[in-house]
Amino acid sequence: MKDLILRNRYTLLLATLAVYMGVLVAEGMVTGREARIIEYENPYFDFNLNEFEEYRERRNEDEDEDDGISVRFEDTGDV
Amino acid sequence: MNKFAVLQFYGLLRREVLEHRNLFVGAPSVLALLILVATAWVATQIDQSQLAEGLEFVSMLFDGLSPFDMAPWIIPLAIPFYLTLYVCSVIYLINTLYQDRKEMSVLFWQSMPVSNLQTVLSKIVAIVFVAPVFYVLIMFAMYLIGMIWLTILGISNEVDLVGIGWLFLAAIVSLVLIYISAVVTSLWLLPSIGWLLLFSAFAKKTPLLWAGGVFILAGFFEDFIFGTQYLANWVASRTSDPNQYLILEFQKVFERVFNYDMFFGIMVGSILIVGAVFMRRFTD
Amino acid sequence: MSHIVEAKSLRKNYGNFTALDGVDLTIPRGAISGLIGPNGAGKTTTLKALIGLCDVEGELSVAGRDPRIARHKLMEDVCFIADVGILPKWLKVSQVIDYVEAVHPKFDRKKAEKFLSTTDIPANKRIKELSKGMVTQLHLALVMAIEVQLLVLDEPTIGLDIIYRKEFYDRLLNDFYDGNRTIIISTHQVEEIETLLSHLVFINKGKIVLDSLMSDLPDIYAEVLVDADRVVQADALQPIYVRELLGKKSYTFESVPREQLEFLGELHTPSVADLFVAKLKEEKHE
Repeated sequence: MKDLILRNRYTLLLATLAVYMGVLVAEGMVTGREARIIEYENPYFDFNLNEFEEYRERRNEDEDEDDGISVRFEDTGDV
Repeated sequence: MNKFAVLQFYGLLRREVLEHRNLFVGAPSVLALLILVATAWVATQIDQSQLAEGLEFVSMLFDGLSPFDMAPWIIPLAIPFYLTLYVCSVIYLINTLYQDRKEMSVLFWQSMPVSNLQTVLSKIVAIVFVAPVFYVLIMFAMYLIGMIWLTILGISNEVDLVGIGWLFLAAIVSLVLIYISAVVTSLWLLPSIGWLLLFSAFAKKTPLLWAGGVFILAGFFEDFIFGTQYLANWVASRTSDPNQYLILEFQKVFERVFNYDMFFGIMVGSILIVGAVFMRRFTD
Repeated sequence: MSHIVEAKSLRKNYGNFTALDGVDLTIPRGAISGLIGPNGAGKTTTLKALIGLCDVEGELSVAGRDPRIARHKLMEDVCFIADVGILPKWLKVSQVIDYVEAVHPKFDRKKAEKFLSTTDIPANKRIKELSKGMVTQLHLALVMAIEVQLLVLDEPTIGLDIIYRKEFYDRLLNDFYDGNRTIIISTHQVEEIETLLSHLVFINKGKIVLDSLMSDLPDIYAEVLVDADRVVQADALQPIYVRELLGKKSYTFESVPREQLEFLGELHTPSVADLFVAKLKEEKHE
């Protein structure tokens, strides 16, 4: 294990950071620290498949509404 | 601990001060000089009688107060020095394990019977305990010059200056508090010290870029993989409160040092410092 | 323990480049050992490994310690002078003496100052203001004031002019070497040191090509200036290297008894330089 960590500077850095992050996250969970401090509002950031399906459906609905409006315009004839 | 080990450590500290005398001595001296010159210039712009009135007012204001009560009012004067110390500390820490590899003098330092642990510890002791001594001494010299000038001014304007004497004592008390604040804050920020030392030892080029870049990436990494921001949260909680940086009363020192967050921070900082010590092996 | 350095199967890779490819090395105590090889052969890597400045695989023991584990303890008994100027440039001469005095338990300040008094080096100058020759003089003065068992020199005289070079080796032999201390010098300027050496190591492409006491060389190697009419017999004895010399052919033989060679022509022990070339060329043909 020691040989693996001390193979080169990159493995050592990764090992140190892994322990550091591990301890911090564990402490955060144990002491009940708030898990998030920044909420991202960008809908594209939290990308997962379900939301994509919903998003696509919503877009299709919007398109239909637009078509509806243009149809109504045609009905009114000359203005 | 035997006598030779103590002398050896002292030799290591002496090296740090000599190598970085610009940061330890030069920067605060220049700042002190600038403040003295600026104050002198401002004083020449003000009407002499107004100055004398101001002095008398201050003298009366502080008359009767103990130096310990007055000290918190003087401490804010030290803020420019505090900021200078922080900037210089960051410069020092990010360069100190990088520079000698860049210049090849690392081969000389490591051909001496000094362990990597002793080397890294000496640098931490230098920035946490020794650097503030120089800053405080230079501030003391600055206050001394200021007091002498005020006294001369007061005497020439026939102002009663009993309060000035107490003011000077208060200034000394404030300097002790400033030194303690600096040390306690450095201990509080030990994780940052460890982070900078780790990347100072690691980077082949541009260590500051590595230190900052990896820090930002680590935050995003945690969020992306685990959906949590414990790292960002923890860092924010430790750096955003101004009260964490200045101690205004001696009574507060004990509670600021002996608490869970301080100990946890020192423990976590030690992980990074251990990484820096081992990283010292890679001199190529 | 009669050997101050015992190394077996040392390996070191820098990315794709193999610097050390199974180096086996033993250096006897009290030897003045020359580590000779062309550029890129692995001299510097080997020496840095001996003092723990370079992590290598394999078995390694220097002055009874493993440099990878106890470097700073080892440094009480070993000193190192490198080819590049490694003394910190911003230090003053007096400050570097102060530093070594503070951190090295076996440093004798009076001795260092005595050595320095015979040079032109002023105590107040910063090291970056000194010439390369003076920096080497200073480093040697510091090193000679330490009670070391082993001195490792990596091309110490490269870039120095002849006066500094001669003075360096004079001091090394007269003031430093006492028969008990060991010196390892790496160089590619073979001629300069061959008269000093008691032990010889050739390295090429990360491998040890020769590891021998100087006193053993005449028993193993012979160079013969072969008469024209004996060339065929000479070829039959399998020389390791042949070259033209003054119209005749010079043959180098390894491990061929001298009695078998005497009839071929003028026989002598090859110089270190000639032996070095011979071994290198032999490698190429294998």
